[in-house]
Amino acid sequence: MRQFRNMIYPYAVWTAIMIVLPMLMILLYAFTKAGNDVTTFRFTLENFARFFQDAVFLDVLKRSLVIAVVTTIVCVLFGYPIAYVIASGPEKSRVFWILMITLPTWINMLVRTYAWVGILQDDGLLNRVFALFGIGPFHMMYTTFAVVLGMVYNFIPFMILQIHTSLSKMDKSYLEAASDLGANRVQSFLRVTLPLSLPGVLSGITLVFLPAVSSFFIPKLLGGGQYVLIGNVIETQFLTSGDWNFGSAISLIMAVIIMVSMYLTRKVDTDPAASGRRE
Amino acid sequence: MKKLFALLLAGTMLLSGCGGGGEAAENAVEKYGSDTLKLYNWGEYMGQDLISNFEKQFGVKVILEYFDSNEMMYTKLQAGDAYDVLVPSDYMIERLIADGMLQELDIEKIPNIVNLAEGVRSLPYDPANTYSVPYFWGSVGIVYNHNNVDPAVVEEQGYEILRNTDYKGRIYVYDSERDSFMMAFKALGYSMNTENEQEIQDAYNWLLDMNNTMEPVYVTDEVIDGMITGTKDIAVVYSGDATTILQENEDMSFWMPNEGTNLWSDAMVVPANAENPLLAHEFINYVLTYEASLDNSEFVGYASSNQEVLDELSGEGGLFAENEAYLPRAGYAKDEVFRDNQVLKKTLAELWIKVKAAK
Repeated sequence: MRQFRNMIYPYAVWTAIMIVLPMLMILLYAFTKAGNDVTTFRFTLENFARFFQDAVFLDVLKRSLVIAVVTTIVCVLFGYPIAYVIASGPEKSRVFWILMITLPTWINMLVRTYAWVGILQDDGLLNRVFALFGIGPFHMMYTTFAVVLGMVYNFIPFMILQIHTSLSKMDKSYLEAASDLGANRVQSFLRVTLPLSLPGVLSGITLVFLPAVSSFFIPKLLGGGQYVLIGNVIETQFLTSGDWNFGSAISLIMAVIIMVSMYLTRKVDTDPAASGRRE
Repeated sequence: MKKLFALLLAGTMLLSGCGGGGEAAENAVEKYGSDTLKLYNWGEYMGQDLISNFEKQFGVKVILEYFDSNEMMYTKLQAGDAYDVLVPSDYMIERLIADGMLQELDIEKIPNIVNLAEGVRSLPYDPANTYSVPYFWGSVGIVYNHNNVDPAVVEEQGYEILRNTDYKGRIYVYDSERDSFMMAFKALGYSMNTENEQEIQDAYNWLLDMNNTMEPVYVTDEVIDGMITGTKDIAVVYSGDATTILQENEDMSFWMPNEGTNLWSDAMVVPANAENPLLAHEFINYVLTYEASLDNSEFVGYASSNQEVLDELSGEGGLFAENEAYLPRAGYAKDEVFRDNQVLKKTLAELWIKVKAAK
């Protein structure tokens, strides 16, 4: 086995170039400022101070977190029942439904999101259908509803897949044992199925929350630029105002927030009391 | 026998056809040093047959790439990508010249420069066409639905109509710090190139007020579809896009505010690191011909830099004769051209995101 150890090196080099180096660059940019004629840059905390001292940026941060949390909750509420129904079906239908869930993700996200513009517009598909029943038109584009809808639509497959995986891995004999011991269906769901599927829910939450909190083109397209989220601010720093230092600092702040929330999620996951595995 | 003969004839014709092409390509290599031109232009910014006609006529190949912002183009250029012809906007050309990233043009190789329209001669960023030759030009104005908005109100209020709460929830605003601050500066009677802090603050407050009272929707190119389908009643758009909107939806009208506007132009330049400057000159010269300019302007709807084409399309019986957006207003004192100013740009970008983020 020993001789295979050397085969790690290419991966180590790859990781260093593709992951570690960009991270270090962001770190460097975040703590520096373009310098004067003598030095090319100088170290500073100005970028962070600028972010935390500005009420507008803090508002944007708050708004991003709220929208990401709402998206995640909606994804759990809809994703769990869907995953549950799929997982309890026979093998063949399971494969079919999982394919149906993943199919849209084969198409570029931008294109799919654009499609929603056509559906939600004032004279779009949905309003035309409503008109057939004599209701509407409803104003849906450029609202919080549209932004959350776009995010849920784009990210819910991650939630469903995660929950489905942990549900289908579950040993069915636990449920038989529960009913042998006199638990009704609700009780066996709450005390057996739910706790056992919790790791899936938690990794689903991570997979939905992360892209939701940093997404920038969904609010741009469906929110009409009115729903400026933290991703949009970062995008502007890099693409329009060319302030890479400030952009990196915001990215770093986001990275820290995400790491903390992931740590907390992991803690819930490993904490036996919270996951309901009683001794 | 007749059939065979026809077949043979067709065969020889085919062969000679190929030979002809090869010869032209060989000539091109001899004449220009290479038979490939790398062109970096805006998306949807060329006539349908422009490239294929140029390729045929000169026996060359054109490699096309598109950008969607001047800044994106600049970043790629800075990274060392080599192109033969670029079509950046006024202020970006100014910046490229200052950075020494362009080469001087050999005007003798561009005889068609005499065709240039009056409105794009001696532009402030390059008055003697030392580095650039105009491609399209235009202004920025207000497109409105004349069934829902009284033309008299638009003409009287100009940009202020974007703060008129009668039209709350019915406006599109162009999502770029440059264009939004332009209308705020103009509405307040300032220069759009101002560096005065108080004036910038006033413009910021103007935009903030608009954002907070009017429920504007910020868009870029979606504005074209949005106005064609009549989703909103008022939008501030580039004149060339306005031309397209007016062609497609006859309920729409165009107004260039009395307060002045941004008189912009996009021009062809040759970067310092171009691999094939000779062919680049040939291309620039070709674009200025009547046929190429006509194809471009008819198809894209932006105002031509060729005077003859401009006159024909906007004149009686022309394609855009009834379209008030096509012909930009030249020589109006309050209209200005954007100047390159990196510091100002950064300030405005920062303020613009704050305007949009305010709720």
